[in-house]
Amino acid sequence: MILEVKNLQKVYGDKTVVNIEDLQIGAGETVGLVGNNGAGKTTFFRMLLDLIRPTNGEVLSKGENVMHNDNWKNYTASFLDEGFLIDYLTPEEYFIFIGSLNNLSVADVSAYLSQYGEFFNGEILNSGKYIRDFSKGNQNKVGIAAALMQKPEILILDEPFANLDPTTQIRLKKLLKEQTGNMTTFISSHDLNHVTDVCNRIILVEKGQVIKDFKTDENTLKELESYFSA
Amino acid sequence: MLSTFLSHQRKSFWRSRNRGSSIAGQIVLGFFMLYFFTLALGAGLGMSHLLAYFFPDQDVIKSFNGIILYYFAFDFIMRMQFQELPTLSIIPYLHLKIQKSKIIKFLNVKALFSAFNLWPFFIFLPFCFIKIAPSLGAVTTIMYIVSIFSIMIFNNYMVLYIKRKSITNTLYTFLGLVVIAAFAALEYYKVISIMAGSDVVFRAIAAQPLFGFAFTIAAIAIFYFNSNFLRKNLYVEELSTKQEKKGSTDYAFLNRFGKVGELAALELKLILRHKRPRSSVILGFFFLFYGFIFYKEKAIDRDAFGQMMFGAIFMTGVSIIIYGQFMFAWQSAHFDGILANKINFKDYIKAKFLLFTIGCTIITLLASFYGFLSPKLLLLHLAAYLYNIGFGTVVVLYLATLNYKRLDITKAASFNYQGTGATQWLLMFPYALTPILIYVPFGMLNKPYWGLVAVSVFGLAMLLLRGFWVNYIAKRLELQRYKIAEGFRE
Repeated sequence: MILEVKNLQKVYGDKTVVNIEDLQIGAGETVGLVGNNGAGKTTFFRMLLDLIRPTNGEVLSKGENVMHNDNWKNYTASFLDEGFLIDYLTPEEYFIFIGSLNNLSVADVSAYLSQYGEFFNGEILNSGKYIRDFSKGNQNKVGIAAALMQKPEILILDEPFANLDPTTQIRLKKLLKEQTGNMTTFISSHDLNHVTDVCNRIILVEKGQVIKDFKTDENTLKELESYFSA
Repeated sequence: MLSTFLSHQRKSFWRSRNRGSSIAGQIVLGFFMLYFFTLALGAGLGMSHLLAYFFPDQDVIKSFNGIILYYFAFDFIMRMQFQELPTLSIIPYLHLKIQKSKIIKFLNVKALFSAFNLWPFFIFLPFCFIKIAPSLGAVTTIMYIVSIFSIMIFNNYMVLYIKRKSITNTLYTFLGLVVIAAFAALEYYKVISIMAGSDVVFRAIAAQPLFGFAFTIAAIAIFYFNSNFLRKNLYVEELSTKQEKKGSTDYAFLNRFGKVGELAALELKLILRHKRPRSSVILGFFFLFYGFIFYKEKAIDRDAFGQMMFGAIFMTGVSIIIYGQFMFAWQSAHFDGILANKINFKDYIKAKFLLFTIGCTIITLLASFYGFLSPKLLLLHLAAYLYNIGFGTVVVLYLATLNYKRLDITKAASFNYQGTGATQWLLMFPYALTPILIYVPFGMLNKPYWGLVAVSVFGLAMLLLRGFWVNYIAKRLELQRYKIAEGFRE
């Protein structure tokens, strides 16, 4: 198991936002986290990334508690929100900076970025703008591409499809599907179509608890739709 | 409608997120404002004595006439730097069923709510009543007041107009100050006299009161120009500063420091690309003149370094103090990213130390012009410099781990006390008192130079212990990271 969650709880005041007893994620799985607003998805992701201190329990990445050391950062890449972007940099500067943290040279970074011409749709590179001046969708693209650039073993994305145009949504799905098997991906989404399409396992959460956890098959979408329309 | 707008403004002020958490900061700010207004009022009431003191051989009214235009020239430049365009606040109204003219009216009225429009009341009004009314009569007094306020209004809208038309930058402000200083110098050497010019203008008003309305007409004209410009360009992207093409930058000199240099470059870009940190840095340069207050001839002659220590510490360490007081919070918008990425806390802290050292070194070198006053001051500066980079940096970074307040760096610096808490004010005590306490015993034994040596040795020792401090602060940051990140997310 590459990621294990044990008795994880986060309590704010008298409200339990996340309460997950046991969750095991195997290497190479593509897991979709689905749930309505306030289900605790982002809080859960933040705890996976050691950004919030859990009230109880622990997150083990390759068997090590993420709170205890930074080893997990060597193989984990993530993009949750704009708070991850350094918005006063140009996209190029940001990619080079993230690259340098992962020991990628400027040449490596530009070689990598050249494959992303299609994904960026010609709007990101050499645009002469800082990240803060981009639209939300394009900011998302920068964050996602920077995460993928790190060639992580674990990739965590919070609502990656939000704010993206349809073409890019399809391209992103393609990108994520290509990685299936050699990368463990954990994404959350409100778009049931996309998430059932990309993921081979779906975790449904409500009020911080895991309601359902199953492998995707042809009936998954219907099942999810009936759950959410109830 | 106007009152609705203003009530929304008031609400946005009182309900802003950081409000509750920074009451201490607000109170201190309140005291500062009160202090400055009291000073201004004092200057206004004592104007006749002050003028008699500074310009002993001429009539006070002549001197008063003389300083008015100087004041407003200075006022104009200060406004260029500090007065803000009331633009962003109108975005939510533009698409609603509200007439443009009403929005413009709101913008114009809002622009009047500026501290700059209060000073003249305190500074000039008392003199008008105390001196001008008895000697020149009621009509002239009224016209003086009308003229002064017309110039004030003129400045107010002129600055907004210029700011709306083009991008202003701090360089212009600096140039403006140089120009005023040049005029003052020319004045001093009696080449050209603005004072005489100003006197002629106001003497004309005294002789022929109706001339005062010339200023009023100018003020109305600029008000009209401004409103007209707004009416034609009421689009948010056109009202805010224009976009220029942004390029990528690489700071080659930082590359040799590896990952630490990379992080330092990141922060350097943060400083240069945001208004608030940039203003802080520029403020630091203004503090270079702080020495003229502290370095009195008597103190220098008596080797009273204890008295001058505070000035020296503050001046050479200003970049550390002013920038460091919001350490980590500058990066609050992307602090999550810093935590989630592969950034070692030690490298992160080392980058801060590196940046502080560079800043402090530059300021200290610039401050070496005080060597012309007395070479002794250079020794004092050296001691202060070593203290600042050795121990001051540690104090600042330690206190930074206690700061959980988010900071919005896109807002301007002046009178922006967002993110200020009690910590920032407490910062000064350990920072400034430590070197003075080290010096005092030597000062009392009348061994001033040994005192400087002691401060330097202390600073140097701490500098050599930097590895230890880096580890210590990195540990603190690691402990506090959830709290800091949570505070910065709000």
